[in-house]
Amino acid sequence: MKELEKLFNRIVQRVNINLRELHFDVSPYAETLFPSEQMSKFYAFYGITPDHPLDLHFEHSALAGSYFLGKCRVRNSLLYKSDIRGDELKRKDQNIRFDRFSLTMNRDELIDIEDSALVKTLVHNYSHDPETPEKFYIKDTLAMDYSNIHGSPCDGSFLGPFATVDLTTMRDCAIGTYSYIQAGEISHMDIAPGTIWVNSSGNFNFFYKYPSDALDEYVSLSPEKVPWGILIDFIEQRKVEFQRVFDYANIESIESVPKTSSLDRYAVVLPNMRIEGNVLVSQRAYLENSSLGKGSNAQENCFIINSSLAGYNVTAHGAKIVEADMGSGAFVGFNSFLFGKKHARLRVGKGCIIMPHTIIDIEEPLEVPAEHFVWGLIRNAAELAENSISLEKLGTLRGAFSQGRMHFEGDGLLLFKAFKDRISHILDVNGAFFDNGQKAGHAQKNQRLSLNTIQPFQFGDMEGMYPNIRIFP
Amino acid sequence: MKNYLVKNLMVPISEYATVTVGTTFLDALQVLERAQDAYTVNKYRHRAILVLDLAGNVVGKISQLRALKALQPESDMAKEVDEIRRFRFSENYLAVLRDKCRSRAEIIKKETLLEAAGKKVEEFMQAPTPGEFVSEESSLDIAIHRLVSGAHISLLVTRDDRIVGVLRISDVFAALFQEMMAAVA
Repeated sequence: MKELEKLFNRIVQRVNINLRELHFDVSPYAETLFPSEQMSKFYAFYGITPDHPLDLHFEHSALAGSYFLGKCRVRNSLLYKSDIRGDELKRKDQNIRFDRFSLTMNRDELIDIEDSALVKTLVHNYSHDPETPEKFYIKDTLAMDYSNIHGSPCDGSFLGPFATVDLTTMRDCAIGTYSYIQAGEISHMDIAPGTIWVNSSGNFNFFYKYPSDALDEYVSLSPEKVPWGILIDFIEQRKVEFQRVFDYANIESIESVPKTSSLDRYAVVLPNMRIEGNVLVSQRAYLENSSLGKGSNAQENCFIINSSLAGYNVTAHGAKIVEADMGSGAFVGFNSFLFGKKHARLRVGKGCIIMPHTIIDIEEPLEVPAEHFVWGLIRNAAELAENSISLEKLGTLRGAFSQGRMHFEGDGLLLFKAFKDRISHILDVNGAFFDNGQKAGHAQKNQRLSLNTIQPFQFGDMEGMYPNIRIFP
Repeated sequence: MKNYLVKNLMVPISEYATVTVGTTFLDALQVLERAQDAYTVNKYRHRAILVLDLAGNVVGKISQLRALKALQPESDMAKEVDEIRRFRFSENYLAVLRDKCRSRAEIIKKETLLEAAGKKVEEFMQAPTPGEFVSEESSLDIAIHRLVSGAHISLLVTRDDRIVGVLRISDVFAALFQEMMAAVA
């Protein structure tokens, strides 16, 4: 048995041991997860920049097609086409606050991945666990295609395809396909597919669950089959465009991008694109025939096709916008799928908040009024009415409230403010407000980023594995 | 003080309402009615039915609460309420949802009652739990502790490996009253 296979089997067993109390067995999903023949074909790459500390440490791991930035250690792990973005990690001497506690960092924070397998997974932000402020750990965890581990230390867990865990410490949990969890801390939970849960203890609690039959059409998973559905097909149909940007070491730059904007060389850009100032386009984003207004961003695994973004729009990790016009400041959360059609264009009013993991798939034109909060599955005007609320009304909610399949309890104003503050923070760190040399963010700093590649063993028992490497300034 | 033992207070199983597995809910209720009519030892009426297997062993119990639960039609919303219990909603909110759920599903209507009447007892009986047994030679003290700690309304009384009776909370309470009156006399 080759080293790659041994390593993978070991990771699967470690994840299963952690999930034994849930009677959750990842083995059936794992068998088809890693294309072992591909693991030696793709190089890994990392960014070098004066703006982020550099310390990369790879040990007994496979890293095919994965990207690294900042401080990161990967041991006994398998990564396939994953993005490990350490550009928002905490720094030495930085002071952090948590409730009534204040803590000064005694060293730079590190992303520490151990005994884990990540497939097309995004790891970003910083550890929000005050008990491990200097280590953003991912341990004994299996994450499937297009999952997001965002500011969420994980131990002994499974994330299904398109699952997101956000600002949440997670132990021994199984997060179902297309579920989004933001709940501070969770343990020993088996969360069904299509669960959207945003909980801030003592402040608010938001819960929505997709009807399972309808969700299955978009993305589904069973032990017998790899993930399939409209979302998977959508990405597969555009896969060929990414081959060009990954096949060449140096790719021609696009002249029309303003100096204050950043277009990652691993993004796909097809005609005819218009990009204004202070725009950030991350690696693995796919842009086609669209315009990105000032201060907008398209994060990893985003698709923006035949659409317009008026300005200051956040398109969070994995979000897809097709045949849509987004008003100024409209936010689209993680892995959302806004699927307008040529004959049925989607218009989203200014200031709208499209919750993470929202699906809007329409066959008739649809308009989301300005300043609305939107969630769940929407295929027509009736479903929009059921799965949205004006921000004004949301701000007045106190106590318990349910609408359609959504349950809410707490203070609506705090939920509203939590999202608005976070959107403002995302725009700020991405450099949307850069002006006259002030308020630089990723859009400006990424212009001082260069890339290096590293290669795996091509032959023998170690084929697909990478040599142990330590990279630091 | 009379120093009651469990065997002094229990209802012998021969006088209790019993049915075998496979009995329908309606037939079980009729058995309970007949057992109550026949029981004249004291004023407290039977409130549960014991379910026996074909060999005569007690394999379950149907309390009045359990019977009422069996009457409630299953609905997607009821399942949803059960599911969201894990997601940090308050008990007050869950209670509101359960009420909403009940208001959507009428119990006292012909279709619901007919459906419930045909259910087999094993579909909704409660299997005995380890803390639900007490020896017939046990004291009133032990019986009270078991009832309270397990929040039971009756205990199954054993002799060796066999269940020989039922100790009802109403009979224990009556005995407690007698003992208290004797103590203050």
